[in-house]
Amino acid sequence: MEKSTDTSLYMRINEQDKAALEQLYDRYEKILFSFLYKMLEDRELAEEALQEVFIKIWRGKGVYDESKGKFTSWLFRMAQNTAIDLIRKHKKPTVPIEEAAQMSSNDAPVDQQVEWQEKKGQIETAVQRLSAEQQKMIDLFYFKGHTHETIADMCDIPLGTVKSRIRLALKKLKISLHGMQERGAYDD
Amino acid sequence: MTNMDCDRLIDYLNGTLSANEIQQFEKHMETCTECQEIVEATGELPYLADPVEPPAGMKARILSNVFEEEHEHDTPASALNPAMSPIPLRKKSSKAQQMWKPLIAAVLLASLLGNAYAFMQLSDQQAVQETAIQSVELQPTETFSGTATAAMFEEEGSVNLVVQADQLAELDAAQVYQVWLINDGKPIPAGAFSPNPNGEGASYYQLESNSDEWDTIAITLEPKTGNELPEGEVVLSSEI
Ligand SMILES: [Zn+2]
Repeated sequence: MEKSTDTSLYMRINEQDKAALEQLYDRYEKILFSFLYKMLEDRELAEEALQEVFIKIWRGKGVYDESKGKFTSWLFRMAQNTAIDLIRKHKKPTVPIEEAAQMSSNDAPVDQQVEWQEKKGQIETAVQRLSAEQQKMIDLFYFKGHTHETIADMCDIPLGTVKSRIRLALKKLKISLHGMQERGAYDD
Repeated sequence: MTNMDCDRLIDYLNGTLSANEIQQFEKHMETCTECQEIVEATGELPYLADPVEPPAGMKARILSNVFEEEHEHDTPASALNPAMSPIPLRKKSSKAQQMWKPLIAAVLLASLLGNAYAFMQLSDQQAVQETAIQSVELQPTETFSGTATAAMFEEEGSVNLVVQADQLAELDAAQVYQVWLINDGKPIPAGAFSPNPNGEGASYYQLESNSDEWDTIAITLEPKTGNELPEGEVVLSSEI
């Protein structure tokens, strides 16, 4: 079977093609669910968020076109925003995530697994190059969905500088990711 | 280089901008490489997540809810007007339905729920028509790697059974996965399917019966279609 690009699937979905939505679902179920679970630390909430994401896509809320960059960035941002909404709505108490370990599995299609593992390795290395404080800020900001006010509190830094510090952390992440991707290209 | 617009990046990523502000910021990104690249890099962060197994039946639930949203928008008019849909269990065919690919059980389920909804709207005498939906996960036998879930719901006098399976091994041309409902050791056939190239299969079956007449659901691998009694091995089963 020919593999459709994300963009062509997205265009078919805009024409209310249910099979295209199902294909997109299959392609990203695992990474999205795992990501939402990492953010929400609750399986039911993660499912709720995932459903919300696909309802938004199906109803054409939020428009993607290639000028907005990679489709996955757009999709993940929508998922991340949806999860943040849920976090803020539920005022979710933080729960330990030990159970995650025993639930982890690897039955996604092999090519997706490989891609995921590769990217995970890259991004992990990039994150490790940040200072401990920068790592913490990205976690609090991106995965925990805290506002910059809360982060100022938690990291004990002046409110006026939080945004620029988060920006700096993300910028360093970007630079180190780019560095690795370029080196990767030369290695090949 | 950091101007007012760049300052909005963090709010953009944190989901605190209004729709209007989002548009403005996206316009800004078209000309600001740095903001653009930071947003792209952020888009790699989800890969940090450890793989987590989704809950059983999640796909069917989510897809049926996604498509159900649409039913709520486009069916009430006919559902509320009995003259327009004289047969409660048959919905007028729509363009959307013609586009449905076979074997998408989730979609099928959405359609059935849509019908049940129309049906409820029509039966005034039984204003509160309970549509009990029971969903079970079938357990594979030791040597079988596939999984399946079955959803069952009742309408007056009949039972609708939707089975969705995945990770199925390929079959020989004549073989088929056969669904059975069993009462006290006596099986009756209740739908059959063959896997598609992605190893997924689904069936839908409606029978005149009550759901509490059955104690077990099972799927066997039959050497041919149309068997009235199981010949092959049970591969998946569950009590109901
Ligand atoms: Zn900028």
